[in-house]
Amino acid sequence: MTELYAIALFLFVLFLLLGTGLWVGLALMGVAWVGMELFTTRPVGDVMVTTIWATSSSWTLTALPLFIWMGEVLYRTRLSEDMFKGLSPWLARLPGGLVHTNIVGCTVFAAVSGSSAATLSTVGKMSIPELRARNYPERLIIGTLAGAATLGLMIPPSLALIVYGVSVNESITALFFAGVIPGLVLAVMFMGYVALYATFSKTWAPIAETGMSFAEKLRNSRFLLPVICLIVVVIGSMYLGFATATEAAAFGVIGALVLAAGQGSLNWQTFNASLMGATRTSAMIALILIGAAFLKLSMGFTGLPRALADLIASMELSRFQLLMALLVFYIVLGMFLDGISSVVLTMAVVEPMVREAGIDLIWFGIFVVVVVEMAQITPPIGFNLFVLQGMTDHEMGYITRAAMPMFLIMVVMVFVLIWLPDLALWLPDTIREAR
Amino acid sequence: ETWDMPMAYSATNFHSATGAEFANCVTTGTMGEVEIVTHPGGALFAGADIKRAIQTGQVPIGERLLSGHANENAIFGFDSIPFLSPSFDDHAKLWEAAKPEIESVLADQNLHLLYSVPWPPQGLYFNKEVNSVADMAGIKFRSYNNATARLAELTGMAPVTIEAAELSQAFATGVAESMISSGATGYDQKVWESLTHFYQVDAWLPRNYIMVNAEVWADTSDASKAVIEGCAALAEYAGLYRSKEYTNFTYEGLRAGGMMVQPPSEQLESELRAVGETMTTEWLEQAGAAGQTIIDNYHAMQ
Amino acid sequence: MTALRSLRRGLDALYLGAGILAALCLIAILLLIIAQMLARWTGTVFPGGASYAGYAMAAASFLSFANALNRGAHIRVSILLGAVPKRVRWLLEIWCFGLGAAIAWYFTYYAYWFTYWSWKFNEVSQSQDATALWIPQSVMVFGGGILAIALTDHLIHVLVKGDHRITRDLVDQSHGE
Ligand code: NA
Ligand code: NA
Repeated sequence: MTELYAIALFLFVLFLLLGTGLWVGLALMGVAWVGMELFTTRPVGDVMVTTIWATSSSWTLTALPLFIWMGEVLYRTRLSEDMFKGLSPWLARLPGGLVHTNIVGCTVFAAVSGSSAATLSTVGKMSIPELRARNYPERLIIGTLAGAATLGLMIPPSLALIVYGVSVNESITALFFAGVIPGLVLAVMFMGYVALYATFSKTWAPIAETGMSFAEKLRNSRFLLPVICLIVVVIGSMYLGFATATEAAAFGVIGALVLAAGQGSLNWQTFNASLMGATRTSAMIALILIGAAFLKLSMGFTGLPRALADLIASMELSRFQLLMALLVFYIVLGMFLDGISSVVLTMAVVEPMVREAGIDLIWFGIFVVVVVEMAQITPPIGFNLFVLQGMTDHEMGYITRAAMPMFLIMVVMVFVLIWLPDLALWLPDTIREAR
Repeated sequence: ETWDMPMAYSATNFHSATGAEFANCVTTGTMGEVEIVTHPGGALFAGADIKRAIQTGQVPIGERLLSGHANENAIFGFDSIPFLSPSFDDHAKLWEAAKPEIESVLADQNLHLLYSVPWPPQGLYFNKEVNSVADMAGIKFRSYNNATARLAELTGMAPVTIEAAELSQAFATGVAESMISSGATGYDQKVWESLTHFYQVDAWLPRNYIMVNAEVWADTSDASKAVIEGCAALAEYAGLYRSKEYTNFTYEGLRAGGMMVQPPSEQLESELRAVGETMTTEWLEQAGAAGQTIIDNYHAMQ
Repeated sequence: MTALRSLRRGLDALYLGAGILAALCLIAILLLIIAQMLARWTGTVFPGGASYAGYAMAAASFLSFANALNRGAHIRVSILLGAVPKRVRWLLEIWCFGLGAAIAWYFTYYAYWFTYWSWKFNEVSQSQDATALWIPQSVMVFGGGILAIALTDHLIHVLVKGDHRITRDLVDQSHGE
C-alpha cells in the first residue's frame, strides 16, 4: 500500500514539474527532494550533494563532451557536400535512386557523430535541395531523413549509449560495438523500404542521372576519404584496443579538427563556436544526469524500485511480455520526453526489473536505443521533427506522417532484435574473445 | 526504526549475502526495534562515498573496504601490505593485532565498528608462466592505487592505470597483461579468455568493515546493542567461513576456465617476501607509531 | 540607472566568463586523456590522470550551467507553455524560474557545507592523485551559485519586464539528441 502511495506521489510531482515547464534536470532534483523528505528521516541536502558530486566528477562521463565536440566541429565543415558528391554516383542506379544518399549519408555520418540532430542537419542541409531539384517525392525525402538520422544514436559513437552506460554501469565500449550491426541492419531495412516504394509507386519519376564511368565514380569517391579515415581512427582504435571509448573520443576531436583544417573550414570563429556549443550541450546532459542520480538515490531509500521489481517478478511475465510492456511504456514516454531524459529517468526502476528478468544489459541498451530513436520522430516532442520543421518549413503533421513508415520499420526492428539477440551481442562477444 | 545499510558489492557477492543475514538477524532479534535494510550493488552510495555517508549521518550503517581510504590515513592500509600476512590464519592474527588501533581511529571519526570480513587472498594473474621476479620485467601490470603502482615498480613491471569498468576490455586487447587481485575478480570477469596463469601468492587479504554512526549507536537501547553485537559476531564467523569456501570455489572456476592455478615457485615466493619487507618499512614511515604498534603486536603473536 | 547597467554588464560577464572557463576545462579533459594515453604507450605512469579528468568534467559542467541556461540549451517540456494565453504563461514562467532558483540555491547551500566539511575533515581523493577534495569541489559550489544567480536574474526579469532573457537556437538546443 505504501508503495502505491509512493508511486502515485512520485508520478504526480514528476508530471507537475515537467509539465509546467521546469527544466528536466531541476525537475528530477525536485521530485527526488520531495520523495526523500516524505519517506525518510535522512539529511536530504547532504545526501543530494554527495551523490551529485560522485556523478558529475566521474571519469566515464568524460567521453560525453568529447564526442559532442567532435560532432560540433564536423557540423561546421564542408563534410555534407563532400559526402553527397562521393556517395551519389554509386547509389544512383539502385531502385530508389538518390534517396539512398539520405540513408547511407546518415549511416556514415552517424559513425562519427553521437547525435541524431547533428546527423540530420548535416546530411539534410545538402541532400534536401539536391533531391528536390531532381524531382524525388518530397514525403520520401523528408521521411527517410527523419528516420535515418536516428541512426546517429545507435551506430557508435552514441550519446544515448554513453548516458545509458553511465546510468547502469556497463562498459561503454561494449555498448558501442553492440550498436554496430543493429544500426547497419536498420539502415538496410530503410533502404529496402525506399527500393519497394520506388518499384511500386505509380508517380515515381525522378530526373535520371547522367551516367558516370567507373573511373569517374572512383575519382569522385576521394571526397569520402577524410570521413572514412576518421571512422577508421575512432572505431578502429577501440576495436584494436589502443583506446577506450573516452580515448577514442579524444582521437575523434583531434581528427575532426585536422579534417576541418585540411578543408580550410577551421578558423578561430568555428573553433570557438564548436567548443562553446559542445560545452553547453554537455552541460545540458550533465544537469539531467545529476538530477537522475539524485532521483535514483531517493527512490533507493524508499525501496520502490525493488518493490516494483518484485511485483513484476510476482506477475511472472515472460521476458517477451516484459519487453512488450516496456516497448509500449517507452513509446508513450517518448512522445513527451526527449530520449536521453527518458532513459536516465526510468533506469532507476527499469534496471532492477530487467536484471531480475535475466535480460542482458548490453542487449537491453540497444533495445532502449531503438525505442529512443522512435521518440525522435513521434509528436508532440520529437527533436528530429523540430529540426526538419526548421529546415523545410513543412508543418509538424506533414513531417510526422512522412516519418511514420520509418517509425513502423523501427517497431519491426525491435522484434528482429528480440528474435535475433545475437545481432547486438555477437560483435562485443567476439571482440572480447578474439584476443 | 529503519537502518538503511549501503553495501558496495553486488547482491550475489558473499559479503552482501553475509550482510543480508546480519540484517535479518538484527531485525528478528530486536523484534523490529531496529530494522536493517541492506542496499547492495552500490544502490544507495558507491563504495567510495559510504564511509563519509555514515560519518555524517546520511545513513546510520554501512559497509566499506577501509584500505580504500589509505590516502586519508595510512593506518587504514594495514590489511593491504603486500606479503606481510600470507594466509587466512596469519591474517586473523594481524587483524587481532590491529583491532584496538583501528577502533580508536574510527571512534575519532564518529564511527563504531561492528564486524569485519576478509576478502579472499590476492594472487597474481599473468598471461604467461612466471617463476621469478626477473620473469615479471616489463609486463604491463594493472595498478589502481599507490601501493599497486609501487609493487609494479619494485618488481620491474610497467604499471598501467585501468578503471575497473574497463578491466576485461583491457585484458582482451592486451592493454594490460597482469594484475593482482583475488580469485573472485578473475572469476567474475572471466579473465581466462585473456590470461593464463594465476599464482596463489596470498599477497594480502583486504577486509570489509561494517560500521555504525557513533551517535546512532549511542542512542540505541542496551538490549538492542546486545542483539546487534551478537549478530555481528555470528556474521563475522559466517563471513570468514564463506570467504574461505569462496576462495576454493573461484580457484576451481579459474581452473575450469582453463587457467593454471598454482602456488608460486620457491624462488618467486622468497623474492616477493623481500618486496613485502621493503613495502612494510615504507608503510611504517607513513603510519607512524600506531602502525609500529600493529606490526610489533603482530610479530609478538607469531 | 548606471548602477543597474553596470550590474547587468557584470552579471553577463560572470555567465560568459564561467562559460569560457568551462570550455577551457573541456580542453583540459582532452589534454589529460591524451597525456594518459601517451603515458600508457610509452610505459610511464601518469598517476591520477583519470581523477583529474573527472574533476575537469565536473568543473566543465557546473561552470557552464548558467551559460547553457541563457542560450536555451537546457531541455524543458514546453507544450503547456506554448499553449496557454500570455498572462498564464507569465505566471508559469514565474513558477519555473522561482522554483528553479530555489532548487539551485538549496543545492548551492548544501554544496558549500559539503565542501566545507571536506576541507575540515581533510578529505583526500582515494585514487592515486590523493588530491585534497575541497579544491575541485569548490568549483561545484561556484558553478551552482552562478546557476542560482542566473535563475534569480531571469526571475526578476520576468517579474519586472514580463519576459526572461533566454535566447534559443533550435539546432544548438537539440545537439544532445
Ligand atoms: Na553515432
Ligand atoms: Na517523441
